Amino acid sequence: MMTTVVLAAILGAVLLAAVYRENGSRAILLPDQVMTLFPAPKPLAAFVFIDHENRVFDLSRLKGKWSFLFFGYTHCPDICPTTLATLARAHENIAKSRAGAKDVQFVFISVDPNRDTAGKLRQYVTYFDAAFLGVTGDNAQLGNLAGQLGVAYQLAITPGIENYPVYHTTAVFLVDPRARYHAVFAPPLDAEGISKRFKVLRELEGPKAT
Amino acid sequence: MRWRDPVFVGLILALTPIAAASEETGVSVRDAWVRETPRGVAMTAGYMVLQNKTSRPQVLVAARSSGFETVTIHRTIAKEGMTGMEHAPQIELLPNASLLFAPGGYHLMLSNPKRTLRAGDRVDITLEFRGGLVLPVAYEVRK
Repeated sequence: MMTTVVLAAILGAVLLAAVYRENGSRAILLPDQVMTLFPAPKPLAAFVFIDHENRVFDLSRLKGKWSFLFFGYTHCPDICPTTLATLARAHENIAKSRAGAKDVQFVFISVDPNRDTAGKLRQYVTYFDAAFLGVTGDNAQLGNLAGQLGVAYQLAITPGIENYPVYHTTAVFLVDPRARYHAVFAPPLDAEGISKRFKVLRELEGPKAT
Repeated sequence: MRWRDPVFVGLILALTPIAAASEETGVSVRDAWVRETPRGVAMTAGYMVLQNKTSRPQVLVAARSSGFETVTIHRTIAKEGMTGMEHAPQIELLPNASLLFAPGGYHLMLSNPKRTLRAGDRVDITLEFRGGLVLPVAYEVRK
């Protein structure tokens, strides 16, 4: 059983590598454990957040770009910095590709607006990558977008405890340039796994997604 | 005669307790590191490989450091489709086994560092085991 799974994974990786060419005219994407692609991307409904520069971050900010979304909180010692560091490397990989990263943005969505002010978010996200965006909103707006993406989160607020933990979904969500929920990357995440698949997807969807 | 050389004898006497202690305890740490923090960030984590080369279980019960407000042994866990953390009050190391503290699993949660940690810095954390064994460990700050 295990051997079959491993073989399938290796085969999948080989096939993906075989069909992926930076300058190739044809590419196909095969389903795998890392990325789940939706055959019919789901258009997102309106929401309103504030970004780390205190600008409005709403649905229109997702249009015209591929957006990688990750939900977390800055008091998170383990998973959030690990994921943001991985996404920074994925961004670097994408930037090195022929098509570059001009049409790509990475958005860290804090589900902990009580502690994560715009200033805090700026310090936090730009540490990992100067181009990263940090956004947050009120609970209704966070619940709105989280619900649309199937994200769960729970703040374990305890009176008197400053460093309360937060439970949250740790997948990375990919929204296409038409603001449609297009794919999801499941943990454990690695930069190569994300950037390789994204480059193929963008090549395939490029003309029709924008 | 070499043995009469006071410096040589002194050196042997000085080294003996250290060698004995490590042989007796047989608990060691390698690849110990702490994640560098963005400025103003209150939380980070420490990682390592804990090795128990003794023939009996060793139980990690606490970690302390004067460099942070609190040091807590934590584990990242999955719960109802979400990821969170739980406090691990004690961790048992099996005889002749290693335990990995790594991103996404066991980690030392380090809150409110007394100074901004930069890659290359050293952080001292003391690990305490049941039975009184105390292991001082130097962690390297990495980006």
